[in-house]
Amino acid sequence: MKRWSAARALFTFRGRVPATLELWVGIGAFVFVVAAWQVVTGLGLVKPQFLPSPVAVVSSLWRLFRDDNYIADVGISVARVWVAFLASAVIAIPLGILMSSYRAVGAVTEPLVDFVRYLPVPALVPLTLIWLGIGEGSKVMLLWIGTFFQLVLLIAEDARRVPHEFIETGRTLGAGDTALMKDVLLPAMMPNMVDSLRITLGWCWTYLIVAEIVAANSGIGYQIWTSRRYGKTPEVFAGILAIGVIGLATDQVIRLLHRRVFRYLA
Amino acid sequence: MPATTTQSAPFIEFREVTKSFTGPKGRDIEVIQPPLSLTIDNGEFVVFVGPSGCGKTTVMRMVGGLETPTSGQILLQGEPVTGPSRQKGMVFQSYSSFPWLKVLDNVRFGLKYRRDVSAADKTRIARHYLDLVGLMPFAEYYVNRISGGMRQRVAIARTLAADPLVLLMDEPFGALDALTRERLQQQLLELQKAERKTIIFVTHDVHEAVFLADRIIVFSARPAHVLREVIVSDELPAERTLDVSETPAFRRLRHEVLALIRDEELRTEAAEIAGAA
Repeated sequence: MKRWSAARALFTFRGRVPATLELWVGIGAFVFVVAAWQVVTGLGLVKPQFLPSPVAVVSSLWRLFRDDNYIADVGISVARVWVAFLASAVIAIPLGILMSSYRAVGAVTEPLVDFVRYLPVPALVPLTLIWLGIGEGSKVMLLWIGTFFQLVLLIAEDARRVPHEFIETGRTLGAGDTALMKDVLLPAMMPNMVDSLRITLGWCWTYLIVAEIVAANSGIGYQIWTSRRYGKTPEVFAGILAIGVIGLATDQVIRLLHRRVFRYLA
Repeated sequence: MPATTTQSAPFIEFREVTKSFTGPKGRDIEVIQPPLSLTIDNGEFVVFVGPSGCGKTTVMRMVGGLETPTSGQILLQGEPVTGPSRQKGMVFQSYSSFPWLKVLDNVRFGLKYRRDVSAADKTRIARHYLDLVGLMPFAEYYVNRISGGMRQRVAIARTLAADPLVLLMDEPFGALDALTRERLQQQLLELQKAERKTIIFVTHDVHEAVFLADRIIVFSARPAHVLREVIVSDELPAERTLDVSETPAFRRLRHEVLALIRDEELRTEAAEIAGAA
């Protein structure tokens, strides 16, 4: 009876559902999709060149790691993403805070950042190649362009959303500008900022594939592209799967840390 | 600063203060007009009341240096107020305590920027004020674990720990339920007796105003001017318990202030309707 009412809550407008039930529903949906995929491919309804079976995808991922030193490709891709992401964050965090705190900084940078933000990143690939050649620099540069201009605006918005009461409280307790930013603004915006960083890190992976497909001889994107050239569809899927798993795992780790570190929000 | 000026000058003085904002379409919106002159004594508990949106909060925020007068001056101990500082403590209705700090650290934040106090003394003083508001058992709690009333007590303790000359309170109990509010009002009076702080308190709750105030300043609708000053301390005992609200003097004061504000509210509404038509 109790279980039945929990199931009903799933279909209630803004219903409250136990966390475990929600988890099982999520797992169930995942299993269902994979099972359907296996059935469709197992029955030969789709040609394997177009859609290989999940078993074939996993086994080719395994083979890539075992025979082709795939860990090196994964490693270089992860390194590119993190270097570019950290380079974005290191500049975007202070700049975003200053943009929201001082109109002089905001008025100068906001129109510029807004403009660059709408430029299509893949179109900048030729430029990064002209500027920095085909080495690591051009790839990191592309990822940096793709994330920095988005991130800086997200950070500025996070800073803007800090209640004015906090700032004024700090002021009336004797904090100067620097102290206000360090002791009040930064801790107040921290939970939202970590979320902004997490979302931006996801975008980094999108641009990574663009960069690696166009000009690289290593990395997951490169592997996906060469596999396509040789018609190895299972290995294309394996590469996509690898990115998905890395992305999901990173996201979950950051979420977990978020819950741990920002316990005071619960 | 020579001692003579402190003795002769009023503790807080508004000298011909006006305030206006530039509204939409570049129109000047007058908040305080005609020029406001007012003095507040050291240790006095002054409550500002008035119709909503009349500018009473702006008047208080100017004492805190969080707003600047358009003309005129505000003097604190004979010195013009030029901006916010530790001398003018502020307690807000919401977001009054920092969620990322534990209760004791919130109170300790009040002393964070004092160079004249050692780290050990900061902790000792913070504990003293936390004890004074009765929250010692919650010292290591984050503020999301304590009630709204307790959070306001944390904010009050933090402000007192900073040792300001004047405590500015912007509807600090406005978001609390009636019983909690009553208890906090009593505690605030006890605190003020112990600490002898000057308090400026803004509220729209007339009952609260009469219960707390030595003097109530009733503001008109915008642009604000002083409609009446009600000296509550002449009619109510300094020692106030909950029973005081049952006395005829209390009821009469409450009625007097309420009638003034009601008239103002009706007049503004009539003016707004006329303006809209």
